[in-house]
Amino acid sequence: MIYLDNAATSYPKAPGVAAAMVNALTQAGGNPGRSGHAMAVAAQGVVDATRRRLAALLGAPDPARIAFTCNATDAINQALFGLLRPSERVITSRMEHNALARPLAELAGRGVAVDSVAAAPDGSIDLDDLARALRVSPARLVAMAHASNVTGCILPAREVAQLAHRHGALLLLDAAQTAGVLPLDVAEMEIDLLALTGHKGLLGPPGTGALYVASGIKLTPSRFGGTGIQSEDEQMPEELPERLEAGTLNSVGLAGLGAALRFLSERGVAAVRAHEMALTGRLLAGLKDIPGLCIHGIADPVRQVATVSISLRGWEPIDLAAVLDSSFGIAVRAGLHCAPAAHRTLGTFPSGTVRLSAGCFTTEDEIEQTLRALDQLAQTPT
Amino acid sequence: MDKLPQPPLANVAERYSRQVRFPAIGAAGQARISASRVAVIGCGALGSAAVDLLARAGVGEIVIVDRDFVEISNLQRQVLFDEADAAAQIPKAVAAANAVGRINSQVKAQPLIADATSSNIEEILTGAQVVIDGTDNFETRYLINDACVKLGLPWVYGGVIGASGMAMAILPGETPCLRCIYPEGQAAGVLATCETAGVIGAIVSLVAAVQWAEAVKILIGDHQHLGRGLATFDLWTNDYLLATGFPRLADCPCCAQHRFDYLEARHTSQTTTLCGRNAVQVSPGHPLRLDLAELGRRLASAGAVSISPYLVRLGVDGHEITVFADGRAIVKGTADLGTARSLYARYVGV
Repeated sequence: MIYLDNAATSYPKAPGVAAAMVNALTQAGGNPGRSGHAMAVAAQGVVDATRRRLAALLGAPDPARIAFTCNATDAINQALFGLLRPSERVITSRMEHNALARPLAELAGRGVAVDSVAAAPDGSIDLDDLARALRVSPARLVAMAHASNVTGCILPAREVAQLAHRHGALLLLDAAQTAGVLPLDVAEMEIDLLALTGHKGLLGPPGTGALYVASGIKLTPSRFGGTGIQSEDEQMPEELPERLEAGTLNSVGLAGLGAALRFLSERGVAAVRAHEMALTGRLLAGLKDIPGLCIHGIADPVRQVATVSISLRGWEPIDLAAVLDSSFGIAVRAGLHCAPAAHRTLGTFPSGTVRLSAGCFTTEDEIEQTLRALDQLAQTPT
Repeated sequence: MDKLPQPPLANVAERYSRQVRFPAIGAAGQARISASRVAVIGCGALGSAAVDLLARAGVGEIVIVDRDFVEISNLQRQVLFDEADAAAQIPKAVAAANAVGRINSQVKAQPLIADATSSNIEEILTGAQVVIDGTDNFETRYLINDACVKLGLPWVYGGVIGASGMAMAILPGETPCLRCIYPEGQAAGVLATCETAGVIGAIVSLVAAVQWAEAVKILIGDHQHLGRGLATFDLWTNDYLLATGFPRLADCPCCAQHRFDYLEARHTSQTTTLCGRNAVQVSPGHPLRLDLAELGRRLASAGAVSISPYLVRLGVDGHEITVFADGRAIVKGTADLGTARSLYARYVGV
C-alpha cells in the first residue's frame, strides 16, 4: 500500500515507538509522579525524558513550559479557554481546521469577539489583511494554523508573531501539521502558545499532544484534579506543567512519543523537511502535467508542507479516493478534511478535495506510481 | 358518547379449534403456542408471511425486527402490507404489528424499527423460544446463527430467490448450524439478490410455511418431526428435496469452537459517514476482488448502471450506489448508515 494520508496520521510510526510502548506497559507500569516505588519512578522518568526531547525539538528553553495533552485539539482548547475572557478579541483565519474553528465558535457564543481574516483563493493569508484586522481594535490573541491541513500552505509564523506583538496580541500557533515536519524554534520565532499532536509529523502514537506556553503567560486550567503535587491545596497548583495536567498522564503513549522524538532528533527535522520538499516538488510538477487535474493551493514546495489538495475533472473526490485505494492501493483522504471554511475559501465546498499527503517515509517511487495512477484515471472519467 | 358495540370475539377455544383438532398439536400444544414468544428477524417477504401464520396460530408474543419502510414494490409478495402502508411509507415493523392487531388482537406484537446487529441481537432474542429468519442477507443470518448458538436458542433459516427457496431448522448443539453447512460466508457482491434476480410470491408462501411448521414443532416440543436437513424447493422446475446428509462439523467455528465471528463483529461489513457529502461508505468485512463487469451485468436489471474498469454505478430509488473493485460501495443520497447498509445488502449482496 502507498500511504499518502500522513496529514491525518503518520504511517508508519518511527522505529522504536511500538517497542517503547510495550516496554512502558511491561517495565515502567507505574503512575508517573504519584508514588515512590520503582515502577512509578520509571514511568516518571519516561515522561520527563519525552518532555525534555520535545522541548529540545521546539527550542523551548524550559521543558516545564510544555504541558502534555491528548492531542492538538485538546491543547488548542486549553490555550483558548484558559486565556480568553468575554469581550476580549481574537483574530483567526478562514482556513482553519475545526480543532480551532469550533472552540472559537463556542467562545463567540460566550461573548468573545472572534474575527476572521480572509484568505486568497489559493488559501494563502496576506499579512497586510492581518495587520489591518489588528489595527481595527485591540486583540488579545491571533490564533492560526502553522500550515493548512487542506492546502499545506505555510503561515510565516515569525512575521505573524512579530505583527501580533506590535499590536499587543499573543500568537497561538496550531502546529498540528508542522511539528516534526518544519524546523521550529519557539523562542526564536517568538511564539507564545503552540499546540501540537504527537501522531502526525512527530511520528508518535495517537492520544499524545502538547501545549507550549511561553514564560509569563498564565492559563486557567481547563481540567481540574489530581496532579501528584501539592495535594493538600484545594486549588490547582501554580506550577507548570502540573497546572495543566490534571489526572493520570498517558504514560504509555508518551513513551512511544519519546522514542519517536529520539528518532527525529537523530534524523533531524531539517532532513525530513528537505526530503518532503523534494517529494512535494516532484508531485506538484507531475500533477501539473495531468489533463483536467486542478491543484487547490499555492503549489509551491518551498511555501507549503507535503500536503497537496487536488480535484480531477469528471470525478467526485470521494469516488476518486475510493478508486485510488481499491484499484491502485493508494491511501488518500477525500472530502472536507474537517476544515469547511477552508473549502469555502478554495471554492471546493461541499464536495471537498482529494488530499495527497506524503510523509517522512514516503519514497520517490511511490510518488511516481501515484502520478501514473492519476494520469490513467484522468483518461477514464466516470 | 356511548361506546360502540364491539363485534363479538370468538372465544379462544373456538378460535383455535381446527388447529387443536389436529392431533399433533392438540390442546396441550395450543397452550404452549399461546404462551410462547417468537422473534422474527427481518419482516420483508418471508418475515411477513411467517408473522401472518404465527399471529393466526395464536403465538403469545411476536417480536418483529426490521428497519425498512413499506414500498410499492413490496406488495407483490409481502403479505402483511397494503397500498395504504406503501403510500404512507410506514416502517415495516410497525405496519406488521398493526396487521397482527387486526388479525388477532390476542397476540402481542412488539415492533422494533432497527437492524439486528451484533450490539442489539442478544437483547432482541431475550425471552424468545424460537427465532425465524426473515432476512435478505447472509451476514445477518450468520449473526442470528452466532447469537442462537451462544444462547442455545433454536432458529429456522429460510431464503428465497427467483422461484427457488430453502429452509432448515437449527437446534444448537443438536443439529448442524448454519456454519456447519456453509462454514464461510460468500464474499460480498457475489450472490444474486431478489433485487437483481427477482422473486415470486408463491415461493415465499411455501418457504414461510415450512419455517412456521418447523417453529411450531419446536414450540410444542415435537422435535421428532423436525425436518433434520435442508429443505430446498424450486416451483418452476418442480424440484423438491430434503437434503439430510449434513453432519455437524467437528471443527465448526461456531457451534463446535464457540467462536462467534459475527457476534463479535469480526467479519461484519462496516459503514462510515462521508463528511458533508450525504453519502455513506460500506466496506465488506473481508478482503475481496470483485468482478466488476459481472456485477454490472447482474445489476443491470435493477436500474440504470454504468461500468468502468474501476467501478460500477447503479442509480436506484433516488440513491446512487458506486461499487469499487475491493467490494466497498459509496451510497450517495443518504447519510443514514442503516439505509446504506440495507441498500448494500439488497443490491450488492452480503
